[in-house]
Amino acid sequence: MGTWAEIDHTADVALRVSASDFADLFATAARGMFSLLVALDAVTSSLVCTVDLQALDAETLLVDWLNELLYLAESGPALRAFVAFEFAVLEPTHLRAVVRGGEVPGFFNYLKAATFHNLEITATQEGYVTTLVFDT
Amino acid sequence: MTRKQDFEQVGEFTWELPKQHDGRMQAPARIYGNAEVFDLAFRDNSVEQLVNVATLPGIVKYAMAMPDVHQGYGFPIGGVAAFRYDRGIISPGGVGYDINCGVRMLASTIHHEELQPYLESLTTQIFQDCPSGVGGKGAVRLSENALDQVLEQGAHWALQKGYATQEDIARTEDGGRIPQARAAVVPSRAKERGRPQLGSLGAGNHFLEIDVVEEVYDAKVATLFGLRQGCVVVQIHCGSRGLGHEVCNQYLRVLQDAPQRYGIPIPDRELVAAPVESQEGKDYLAAMAAAANYAFANRQVLAHFVRLAFEKVLAGKISDWHLQQVYDVAHNIAKVETHDVDGKLVKLVVHRKGATRAFAPGHPALPEVYRDAGQPVLVPGSMGTASYVLVGTPQAMAETFGSCCHGAGRTMSRHGAMKVMRGEKVRSDLEQQGVTVRSGSLRGLAEEAPYAYKDVSLVVASVTGAGIARQVARVRPIAVIKG
Repeated sequence: MGTWAEIDHTADVALRVSASDFADLFATAARGMFSLLVALDAVTSSLVCTVDLQALDAETLLVDWLNELLYLAESGPALRAFVAFEFAVLEPTHLRAVVRGGEVPGFFNYLKAATFHNLEITATQEGYVTTLVFDT
Repeated sequence: MTRKQDFEQVGEFTWELPKQHDGRMQAPARIYGNAEVFDLAFRDNSVEQLVNVATLPGIVKYAMAMPDVHQGYGFPIGGVAAFRYDRGIISPGGVGYDINCGVRMLASTIHHEELQPYLESLTTQIFQDCPSGVGGKGAVRLSENALDQVLEQGAHWALQKGYATQEDIARTEDGGRIPQARAAVVPSRAKERGRPQLGSLGAGNHFLEIDVVEEVYDAKVATLFGLRQGCVVVQIHCGSRGLGHEVCNQYLRVLQDAPQRYGIPIPDRELVAAPVESQEGKDYLAAMAAAANYAFANRQVLAHFVRLAFEKVLAGKISDWHLQQVYDVAHNIAKVETHDVDGKLVKLVVHRKGATRAFAPGHPALPEVYRDAGQPVLVPGSMGTASYVLVGTPQAMAETFGSCCHGAGRTMSRHGAMKVMRGEKVRSDLEQQGVTVRSGSLRGLAEEAPYAYKDVSLVVASVTGAGIARQVARVRPIAVIKG
């Protein structure tokens, strides 16, 4: 399982994400993002949504993925957070996933969007690393 | 890598990086500020972002950073750049996610000592009547048709529905309606997010504040703006909510391959752009204008509910509780404007990202009542500190396309701010200073603590020193409401 750490960014919120493979990178980035909003332990997996995205490249797909999850989190009658992610398809330009989560009473933080700020997915000997900046 | 010594000091408060510094630059870059502010610009990626803006095609005069500059995405926050309408670009990175985030100020004749016995209950009433927080639903629910009207008519929709007065409309930038707006090009997902949120403050750095006019620097102009020493004013800082964020998101996606298609060299993919007159450019301009209109209507509806709260709490206790609008300014926007460039009037798209329009006396876009004085420029400080009312100058028209700073500007990350002090402590410190606080999030209070920002007085001294604005009055908060 991948790891994430919050790092300093003057105006916004940034996460450094490390993962063992591509699917782990996308799942860890999503978990890291929701950790900025809620206590992950308190989120149930009672709610199921599907996500299907196409993008120009892997970085765009990652940004689109996170923004899609933010949209799903804010667009229901109550706020929601997602904590489990299964990928039926995950290619550099296409993703199809089932995401599980639950309703939450509130968010700690306000994230407008995941951005392309200095975004680069780098392959390492251990897997992949990237830094994500969220506009707040 | 751009260094301090690459800049030339061309005025006491103006620093210029010549175009020759980087072969890609199409125009010089300028930073406004005293030596301390200039140094602060190098603490993060702001200057590199400013240089990137200067490489974009069709840029006119300079890429500019106001003294509240800090790094953003694409443009730095505090960035101003104008592009020729006929052969320049438009970029969502020059506007930001919160399209037409802005500030509205309402003035009263209530002396703060007269208000003091009712301040707690008034703050609570406003907190109840003006919904705030992440994803918060607004005071008004809109049908699909009504939302389309809001998107195309902006504050004029609010006027028709009884949420505004004619005077409010006149005292709002562009009369609260940007004419290029087209509801048809606003993505359906943006509309879905916008329908339940009109009349809501949101979260993050947005706030509603009750302030006292602490010092008047220009009595004549302050009187004209309705500002009286010792009297209470209200500031509303918010934007286009989820609708604006979604417009930005969707058009960043739409414009992904536009630079390649139109041969626009962009140094950073956050600066995706299209020619203003391309279909993509026109559509983004129209959708961005529609989101801006939503924001004007949003602040108007919030102003209505603030007025009702004043009436509920103060009627029968204070002789005149009415609030008169001073002005409403946008500080995240791209606008089609005509400016004098080398002696010729040229149609431009002026991007102001974390920057405020500051038109000079005599400008035809100003309401008649302010035409001789100039445009009010509202510069909120960080939470719990002073805010300023400035006025635009001819020098701003000559140098900055009539633009000025928008606030204090962060110097510390939200993460860093939270490590310094907990929200409870920030709240108790504010209350000890005599500031009543209502907030849905203690974490939000910690993130927005005053020590995370520059001293707004330093920023204001820089713009007034540079001559791009003049001071009219300073206000200090007595109550803060945050999401």
